[in-house]
Amino acid sequence: MGARHLVVIGNGPAGKEAAAVLRDKEPESRITIISKDHEGQYRPNFLPDYISGRKSLEQLYATPFRFYQDQEIKLRLGQPVAVLDLEERRIILDHKEVIRFDGLVIAVGGRPRIPEPLLVFQDLMYTLKTVQDANSWIDRLASVDSVVIVGGDLTSFAITRALLQLGKRVGFVFSEEAFWPQRCNDQILRAAAAKLAARGVEVVPGRLKRIVRHSETRFEIMTDCRHLEAGLVGAFFGLVPDVRFLAGSGLQIERGILVDEYLNTGFEGVYAAGDCAQVYHPELRDYWVSIGYDNALRLGRIAASNLAGGREETTVPPESLFCDQGVRANTSWWLEF
Amino acid sequence: MGKLDITIEICGMSGDGTIAAGGLLNTAMSRAGWSVLAFDSYPAEIRGFGRCVTRSRFGETKQIALEDSTDVLISLDDKQSLSRIPFLADDAVVLFDNKPSAHLAEGESIAAHVAPGMALYGAPFLDLASSASGSGKGRNLAALGALAAIYNLPLDYFREVIAAKFKSKGDRVVEANHKSFDAGWEYAREQFADRIRGIPIPGTAGEEPEKLLLSGNVAIAEGALAANVKSYFGYPITPATPIMEYLAGKLPERDGRVVQMEDEISAIGAVLGSFFAGTRAMTATSGPGFALMTELITHGVMSETPAVIVDAQRGGPATGLPTKTEQSDLLAAVFGGPGDSARIVIAPTDVTECYHYTAKSFRLAEKYQTPVIILTDFFLDNRVENLVRPTSRPGDIEDGNVYPAIADRWNYHRYRLTESGISPRALPGMEGYIFPATGLEHRQEGVPDFSPENHMVMSQKRRTKILSALADLESPVEYADPGRLDVGVISWGSSFGAALDAVNTAREQGLRVGALKVTTMYPYHAEEIRAFMSRCQEILIPELNLSGQLATLIGHLFPKDVIRLNMVTGIPIYPSVILVKIREIIGVQGR
Repeated sequence: MGARHLVVIGNGPAGKEAAAVLRDKEPESRITIISKDHEGQYRPNFLPDYISGRKSLEQLYATPFRFYQDQEIKLRLGQPVAVLDLEERRIILDHKEVIRFDGLVIAVGGRPRIPEPLLVFQDLMYTLKTVQDANSWIDRLASVDSVVIVGGDLTSFAITRALLQLGKRVGFVFSEEAFWPQRCNDQILRAAAAKLAARGVEVVPGRLKRIVRHSETRFEIMTDCRHLEAGLVGAFFGLVPDVRFLAGSGLQIERGILVDEYLNTGFEGVYAAGDCAQVYHPELRDYWVSIGYDNALRLGRIAASNLAGGREETTVPPESLFCDQGVRANTSWWLEF
Repeated sequence: MGKLDITIEICGMSGDGTIAAGGLLNTAMSRAGWSVLAFDSYPAEIRGFGRCVTRSRFGETKQIALEDSTDVLISLDDKQSLSRIPFLADDAVVLFDNKPSAHLAEGESIAAHVAPGMALYGAPFLDLASSASGSGKGRNLAALGALAAIYNLPLDYFREVIAAKFKSKGDRVVEANHKSFDAGWEYAREQFADRIRGIPIPGTAGEEPEKLLLSGNVAIAEGALAANVKSYFGYPITPATPIMEYLAGKLPERDGRVVQMEDEISAIGAVLGSFFAGTRAMTATSGPGFALMTELITHGVMSETPAVIVDAQRGGPATGLPTKTEQSDLLAAVFGGPGDSARIVIAPTDVTECYHYTAKSFRLAEKYQTPVIILTDFFLDNRVENLVRPTSRPGDIEDGNVYPAIADRWNYHRYRLTESGISPRALPGMEGYIFPATGLEHRQEGVPDFSPENHMVMSQKRRTKILSALADLESPVEYADPGRLDVGVISWGSSFGAALDAVNTAREQGLRVGALKVTTMYPYHAEEIRAFMSRCQEILIPELNLSGQLATLIGHLFPKDVIRLNMVTGIPIYPSVILVKIREIIGVQGR
């Protein structure tokens, strides 16, 4: 019988950490990371600083390719998964290559969330999740001097700070319900708005209603009470787990992949970790999602450890979870603007 | 941004349209103003049995050698393309068909072997071509379209060259291929919008003459036509056959003819007969055919009859490796055959020289009344370069015959002894200049004579004649700074480009090295070669043969052993291999 083949889907912090732990615990196993992204593992929270020029491209990347080579972890970049067949324990990649596995960690992270009413304006708004997104921002910012941010997740504050550092005029369409997920109340909202205004940001309360594109560098943004103009519109409504490819796999999916407190999906040897997992909390008898780099690392470690035969629980104190739009969340970072 | 220099490879199975796609790419890039050096390798079988690879290097300045690392690989057949993985640059771009007709086991897709740091672009070539044109045959065009989109290459050039290539097959075929190309382009523009890697297009200066793509074989044929060759006699053999094919289309337009003979022996016999009668003719063959010709070549030497023979070398011995390159016929070309049979052997190093050397060979053959052997090889014959259309140089193509004086009429000695060894040659039908022509040793009148004294005198005469040809043969060319050199690289034939490329790089690295191009293989310019050698601490001779045939031929001119770098891998030698050796000789590690 050959060595076990352990596969990790996703090369974000959770996926890479899971692979590293698996290598440590199972030196003889064959380990493969499959990622639809073409980039190596980067730190998404550095992207705003990369846009402002405070971080170099090299600083964005958290793990050099040499790491995978040294650890004998096969890294397949730019290769989306088309089908996950848990019965046959195989993955069919988009290019029809069939990968069989003995153990699996799903750590595909999230993708930018655009609220349903705004999907019609999706192509008019820039999001910020990948290095390519950041490069698009950099290209476009070269020819515009004003930006309107809509939404209000953690990254929105970081990008606002970056834009101010670049000397851009920033408008912020700021509404309570746009925050997702967040530990938010009226007091925090008022404080955040005041801080933004104090830094020269034009804070516009209300809901985004419409965006009109007049030219490549001129957009009209209409809220329920104001009209704004800007050269670029950025959308920041948090992330949603990127698990569309799992439809039909048999996994239970709500906001993310439902897993128990050991991050097991209910299928033997199949785990989920990071932003794509929705984790059961035995004390609360409810599920929670995790946000942030450090949380992802931790969940990746636990999933791998358990796949390698461990029995480690994800312990999160109930008081550190917050609830938004019916979803309990835990974040490992919060940007002080 | 550094100097633009990109190597693109297309790999597929025979029948995938790999070579066709490479040709279209080369032509389009040439029109866009790039310098092009391209080489196809394909299996010996006709169809359906092996790997085809086109390898093209594009740059702003003239490309003189292929690089060993590939910047872009287009895979038309992943199974075949897996062999190309080791040659990919660390940041290579790989395009592949991401919708194969069946599922693949793990590792069967090229995607499984692309290293992190490389860029993978998957596009459904087959589906795109089928949807756009109704036929999957255009999947190579869809792949080209995707490449053009990813690199932001000008569409018009591609569309023009596609139209030109397929126009003889009718408008529907042109349209179908355009559709396949456009489908690939549109798919890539949409799917890879944020991964476009535009590269600047050099463009052509307004007054710069248009360049055309020529292979070594076509350049040889064109050179022969420029010299007003009247007949080609040959027997098909790879890699020389394209010369015959090209001339078969051109010679009849000029009242000439191509005759396919029953074998190579009859081919060289016909060439000798044609020249004997005063009409220019040629033949082209490869090692196995050349071996058959050797007796009659020496007949030409003995009877002092002109002939022009192209030996397009391939991997040997015997049938050997029909579609692989090698430089292992040098000693056979120089010395092959019975007796002391000195003849002229020249070896062009690039496509332009293929043209000029061939054009000149007829005059040389006539003037020195000898077979002239043009040594090429598979790489040089099949590689394509874009260049300004060559035209014959003054003096190269004129009648080289030295006719007898009127005073000799009725008292004509065909093999009269002269200071240069050149005896005026009469043609059949010239009244009063009758002579016997024979392969037997003969006196000045041409009458057989086997006496020791005569054989000594006549052998010396023929040798003197060939040595006197040095005055008309290209001198070696130095590429070096004045003064002492740590390493001198002497190279010939298709390997010279790689040698010069390596030397140029070494000089940029501050090393004291130089290159010497030798194109006159026999007789050779001993004094010039010795002068170069005398400046060098070490002499390195890289060759695509196992024993070092040029090193054997001229190594005695250097007071100590020359260093040989020999490869018989069937592929061209790469500059990096030579550079590593240069650095090793000097004592510097790495590339």
